Amino acid sequence: MGSYYSLIFSRLFPKKQITLLMVGLDAAGKTTVLYKLKLGEVVTTIPTIGFNVETVEYKNISFAVWDVGGQSKIRGLWKYYYQHTEGLIFVVDSSDHDRIETAAEELKAMLAEDEMRDAVLLVLANKQDLPKAMPVHELTDRLGLHTLRGRQWFVQATCAVQGSGLYEGLDWLSDQLSRR
Amino acid sequence: MIICCEMSVPDDLTPEEQKELENIRRRKQELLDDIQRLKDEIAEVTSEIENLGSTEERKNMQRNKQVGMGRKKFNMDPKKGIQFLIENDLVKNTSEDIARFLYKGEGLNKTSFILTLSSFDSSYRRNFLWSFRLPGEAQKIDRMMEAFAQRYCQCNPGVFQSTDTCYILSFAVIMLNTSLHNPNVKDKPTVERFISMNRGINDGGDLPEELLRNLYDSIKNEPFKIPEDDGNDLTHTFFNPDREGWLLKLGGRVKTWKRRWFILTDNCLYYFEYTTDKEPRGIIPLENLSIREVEDKKPNCFELFIPDNKDQVIKACKTEADGRVVEGNHTFYRISAPTTEEKDEWMNSIKAAISRDPFYEMLAARKKKVSSMKRH
Repeated sequence: MGSYYSLIFSRLFPKKQITLLMVGLDAAGKTTVLYKLKLGEVVTTIPTIGFNVETVEYKNISFAVWDVGGQSKIRGLWKYYYQHTEGLIFVVDSSDHDRIETAAEELKAMLAEDEMRDAVLLVLANKQDLPKAMPVHELTDRLGLHTLRGRQWFVQATCAVQGSGLYEGLDWLSDQLSRR
Repeated sequence: MIICCEMSVPDDLTPEEQKELENIRRRKQELLDDIQRLKDEIAEVTSEIENLGSTEERKNMQRNKQVGMGRKKFNMDPKKGIQFLIENDLVKNTSEDIARFLYKGEGLNKTSFILTLSSFDSSYRRNFLWSFRLPGEAQKIDRMMEAFAQRYCQCNPGVFQSTDTCYILSFAVIMLNTSLHNPNVKDKPTVERFISMNRGINDGGDLPEELLRNLYDSIKNEPFKIPEDDGNDLTHTFFNPDREGWLLKLGGRVKTWKRRWFILTDNCLYYFEYTTDKEPRGIIPLENLSIREVEDKKPNCFELFIPDNKDQVIKACKTEADGRVVEGNHTFYRISAPTTEEKDEWMNSIKAAISRDPFYEMLAARKKKVSSMKRH
């Protein structure tokens, strides 16, 4: 009986699947974030050739997270994925002082895409465990987040290797997205 | 030895005892001489072994061995493998050289896949064998597709108007494969979406719709394949064997004939229950073994044995039915080939494998020489 009710329930209130894109410079920790979120779940399928995509079930929301990126030439292709994107996860290596400007430009370019107009932005200030890691407020400044207009954004300090901060980030995302 | 002869003989000995003592002293001297000769012999062999490093053959052997090690390292960790090859001067630290190694390297554990792109001339399709493991990280895919496009356009001028067109299309194809076949993607794109995705990628113009439709259909019907390869199997050991085929093998304890798939490679004889088995049932290192023809009720028989050692168990291992790996229990391996020709071919290949190692050959020759000198 229980399963019958849950079947009815899931038909009435289907689990919402939300597509999230994850971007960031190389070595920012995207793959680690993606697979840390999946930790504990048994992966039985043969990996599909192509991009890393994982679904993460959290608080009755199913997130499909795509690891995207590449040069500007192929940004046109991603647009077709942006259309269905409700959130952008931007992963940044907090200890990489040299490339923080590059990261800021990348983020700016991504947010400038028309299709990303309504996407909420979650910045993961990753690698907080490293000695030279910039604190959240400094990253916020250097990424120019205060200049963003009309966008919901949030910076979460994380250490993906240890898994800390990741679910706090998802909490914020699910809060924002369930309000819609 | 002169000193020895001049040694005094105690006076209180009987003539017999004196003679006996002399005999003992003579034999002692002979033995000392023998020991000296053997020492010289050993020194000679040692210096020859050391000098082997300078001979061309040895160099090649060393190189092949190191390349083999590099391959194994590469299969476990590509970065470390390449680093090892560069450090040992087996591969130059240039992208061309590394690419050549990766491309040519047989036995490399590559998750290869076939990228099928129909060409502009849609009368025939082109198949590219892409022989690298494609990672899942977007930035890596990006770099690989760019490199691929460059190479492809170099080899196939006139197919694409520009390298970028090829690069963007290749990237789009990987995206399509992900969307259509990754179970985590719920939102499957339609062919129309794929076509509109690729709008304007041909230097601002569009690619022919027929080409894109064909691509979409071919990927929808069949995802890129990953050949089974978990990095842990022995498959790479069995690439390009010296010889392989079905033979009958007589059991070690239970004397029954079993049909086994034999593979001869790396101075070892491996046998399997089925051709498709990844793990061999048994491994017989050929080192120190000899081979001879034998008569049996079965036709075309030969056997592997330890020369001069009748009852010694041959060093080998086999896998039991329950998966345990145990030492072999054969004092000889008797094998029957289906035909006389095959028997001769197997015997020749095994003989060649046994004596291929020049190092062993040389040592064996030395041993013989020393023992014959001793006898004289």
